[in-house]
Amino acid sequence: MSNNDIYEALVNLEEKKVKQLVSQSLEKGMAPEEIMEQLQKALIEIGDRFEREECYVPDLIYSGAIMKDAVELLGPKIKEKGAEAKGKVVVGTVYGDIHDIGKDLVVMLLQNAGFDVVDLGVDVKPEKFVEAIKESGAKVVGMSCLLTISFDAISKTVKAIEDAGIRDQVSIMIGGAPVTELVKDKTGCDYYGKDAIHGLRFVSEAYS
Amino acid sequence: MPENMEKVYQERLERYKTANRNEKPDRVPLRPFAAEFTSKYAGYTAQEVTHEYEKAFEAVRRCAKDFQWDATVVNMIYVWSGLVDHFGQKYYKVPGIELDPNVGFQYFEPADEQGAFMKEDEYDALIESPTEFLANVWMPRISKYVVGPQDSNTYRNNMAWLKGGLSLMAYGGAVGAANEKLKTECGTVSCVSGPIKAPFDILADKLRGFRQVSMDVYRQPDKVQKACEALMPYLYMNAKVAADPTKQVPVSVWLHRGTMFSKDMYERFFWPTLKEIIIKLWEEDDIQTIWYAEGNWDKWLQYTKELPEKSIIYHSDKGDIFEVHKQVGDKFAISGGVPNDLLAFGTPEEVKEVCKKLIQTVGKDGGYLMDAQAIIQSDAKAENMKAMTEATLEYGEY
Ligand code: B12
Repeated sequence: MSNNDIYEALVNLEEKKVKQLVSQSLEKGMAPEEIMEQLQKALIEIGDRFEREECYVPDLIYSGAIMKDAVELLGPKIKEKGAEAKGKVVVGTVYGDIHDIGKDLVVMLLQNAGFDVVDLGVDVKPEKFVEAIKESGAKVVGMSCLLTISFDAISKTVKAIEDAGIRDQVSIMIGGAPVTELVKDKTGCDYYGKDAIHGLRFVSEAYS
Repeated sequence: MPENMEKVYQERLERYKTANRNEKPDRVPLRPFAAEFTSKYAGYTAQEVTHEYEKAFEAVRRCAKDFQWDATVVNMIYVWSGLVDHFGQKYYKVPGIELDPNVGFQYFEPADEQGAFMKEDEYDALIESPTEFLANVWMPRISKYVVGPQDSNTYRNNMAWLKGGLSLMAYGGAVGAANEKLKTECGTVSCVSGPIKAPFDILADKLRGFRQVSMDVYRQPDKVQKACEALMPYLYMNAKVAADPTKQVPVSVWLHRGTMFSKDMYERFFWPTLKEIIIKLWEEDDIQTIWYAEGNWDKWLQYTKELPEKSIIYHSDKGDIFEVHKQVGDKFAISGGVPNDLLAFGTPEEVKEVCKKLIQTVGKDGGYLMDAQAIIQSDAKAENMKAMTEATLEYGEY
């Protein structure tokens, strides 16, 4: 077994092989941290391939599922330890909207890259965003919006963040199919990410 | 109907039909697909139009009159809370009940295996008999009241089928009357008849949920493919029986997940069964389909091109409509292209400029229908919708 086998298997989305290799490696005494590192690298590679359109949404979802099972095998220790998070990010789909596939990809890529994400789910009211930003102290908040009807909810969330006096503390990024630069400007946000990778880059910069 | 209204209607119908067949009418038809915009314009809350469909129809008539729409959907607020209540459908949330009165109804797709309306080991049952599976297994899962044949019958179950059936009939009748009123009061054509979905989208939207299907395409690809094949004839029949018997107006397909696929997956799971439905409707029944390409479908243009000439009206959302026109404009009529962000945040002048450009390029030789990119919701400003009409009247004549 070469050192990169687990990485390779996950990149190639070989579910059974990943499980097998992880179990075998553990038996042979490989450190769970080392296995975890390979798995994480693989997910980052899959994210890059997604950007290059060499892999697609179902692949991302499937790789996430394979990863989850593999981490289970590594046991509770690894989950507790984990690397020091690179920073906190609050993410949610805005009020009135329940589309979450895109939002979940953003969350996944951020987590894979080592950020600590507070995922508020869908149909999130402005107050909830504010609360989460305050509680977590996140420097970035990401809103997903798939419905033009919810442009208004973006504006209201930005306003709530201003009213709470924490606008200087956070950068606001938005994304989702109908969102554009124009929407970003008119709703008072800081950044429009055309895909999840761009969102990740923005967050990485904010924390660099 | 006043004589002049009849005349207006006939002119518009002709304009609509001609453009749909990719020919040159007297003018570019205005054919907006408008949802919550109409309710807001008419002064109704989301709650009112979801609970009382007559208000939804009336809101559409208001807009059709004021904005001189040639053709439009008789009601895009397609969830009526009466039906949701009678069948006890669990997957809808309704304004004024679970939601704020001003938030549009919501459909919740199953998010995990536990919530899935069809489980991972039930493909064989679906493939064996889709209708039995839907009635016996799926209905009891999506309904608060319906029970399966293995359970003992209940009063609630009986009432759900009875009331649900009656309300389906009531709504169907009301739509017929509303189509007629749209014609006699506004001279506007009710622009679509039956809806279709790609078999794969049914699997993703209503049965397994997209996350679960995303794993199924790897874990049990043959079954996914067979399930799409098994659903195909039913979806075809659904469209066919709901289609306009006089064949004047098309059916519509709402394209959901195909853009998220690789080429191999698209070729295997999405395209073959959808293609067959559209071709059958066209070749056997003379029914056109509005190809409502939600999102950006440009990467699949080479497949769409395989469809017979005039069999579809290509609606472009986030794709590059000028590229679509270049590639398939000689085969199919094209609709859409007005950006929704502009309708929400732009000025009337900007909207007019875009409409003008669309008319003069995509509409240059006919075969173009004016519409926004995506469904028009309450974010669109009335003055911008007016600008869309003005531009079409001003620049759209041939
Ligand atoms: C799948 C889908 C659904 C599914 C949602 C399932 C789910 N769990 O999410 C179902 C069937 C339930 C659904 C329901 C509805 N939908 Co819908 N849906 C879609 C569809 C086809 C795809 C969305 C999707 O999942 N894309 C895949 C993901 C991966 O892409 P994405 O979300 O764009 O995300 C990527 C980027 O945008 C970005 N991103 C996303 N969020 C964020 C956030 C940040 C911070 C960053 C940086 C980046 C980022 O990263 C992602 C990956 O790179 C779109 C059309 C389209 N193609 O966009 C319509 C669409 C969004 N729906 C639409 C409508 C109208 C509805 C309904 C209201 C329909 C109705 N009348 O019934 C309901 C709405 C319910 C509600 N209240 O929210 C319209 C909206 C029209 C408009 N004016 O805005 C669309 C645009 C279709 C259309 N052209 O008309 N829908």
